[in-house]
Amino acid sequence: MAIDPETFKFETPQFDPRFPNQNQTKNCAQNYVDYQKCIAIKGEDFEPCKIFWRTYTSLCPVDWVEKWNDQKEAGKLPFKLD
Amino acid sequence: MKLKNMTNKVRGNMQLHPFHLVGPSPWPMFTSFSLMNLALSMALTSHGYMGHNYFMFLAMFVVFYSMTLWFKDMMAESSYLGDHTMAVKRGMNQGFMLFVVSEMLMFVSLFWAYLHSALNPNVEMGMMWPPMGMEAMSPAELPLLNTMMLLASGVTMTYAHHALMNKDRKNTLYGFMYSTMLMVVFVFCQGLEYSFSSFTIADSVYGSAFFSATGLHGMHMMMLAMMLAMCTWRVYNYDFTNTSHVGAETTMLYLHVLDMMWLFMYMVMYWWGS
Repeated sequence: MAIDPETFKFETPQFDPRFPNQNQTKNCAQNYVDYQKCIAIKGEDFEPCKIFWRTYTSLCPVDWVEKWNDQKEAGKLPFKLD
Repeated sequence: MKLKNMTNKVRGNMQLHPFHLVGPSPWPMFTSFSLMNLALSMALTSHGYMGHNYFMFLAMFVVFYSMTLWFKDMMAESSYLGDHTMAVKRGMNQGFMLFVVSEMLMFVSLFWAYLHSALNPNVEMGMMWPPMGMEAMSPAELPLLNTMMLLASGVTMTYAHHALMNKDRKNTLYGFMYSTMLMVVFVFCQGLEYSFSSFTIADSVYGSAFFSATGLHGMHMMMLAMMLAMCTWRVYNYDFTNTSHVGAETTMLYLHVLDMMWLFMYMVMYWWGS
């Protein structure tokens, strides 16, 4: 998902009452999982899926996302996606 | 004769307190050494410093050997020498209570370890419990049968206790025998369950917490089976009376404590946690 500097609007995740703690690790991971589930059902172009993408991209360290993407490709992602 | 009129020599033959001053015995030192041996050989074997487990089994044998000799002395002191007065028996009961409380706290720490990971499974575990890829044991199969056997053992134990208090030798014997057999079958079923398990103690925090807790309980059950077998033997030997049977009372208390522990373990680790 490429970012166009002309139209890009800087948005950060709002407070999510499921993750009220300062440690947002699980907020990041849950949104990554929800995004994968969402696009698996609706496809990558389905607009409502993007809220998950925006949230985990904003919250997760890049390293983690890269690791999970690699694991997903290898079929070893330690999350339940069904 | 009044105390003040006695010579020191005569007074030395009188015991002015109800407590049992134990004589010199090799067993405390012998048991300590064999336990140290067991701990060392167990750690060295399980961490791969020894290529075989002969020393571990030898150490285990020596522990059982020294315990047998020590308990034999204690039974002689109580049943044949009459050293166990009311005060001594009260002391032993209190000591056993303290032991049971410390045992319960040990299990509390294992429950804590389990629930620490289970109530809030972290990202590495796939944020789920059992962790992603782990297959828990079914609580409805062997564990359920085990639960029923332990509940039944509580009944047979009370049956033996009441028979013992009512001077009913035959039913006391039956009660202790049934309880012993139930414990042996329980341990056997746990062994079966372990050998067919899809995971080991080395498989994630789930396997570690599960087998640490249920394994410790299983080890206690083996101990309890031995205690019950010993009680059966002592009843057979006329060691217990209807009013004096500390060994039987502590064994019964232990059985109920371990039963309750299993009940919580079954509810939390087998049922809720699967």
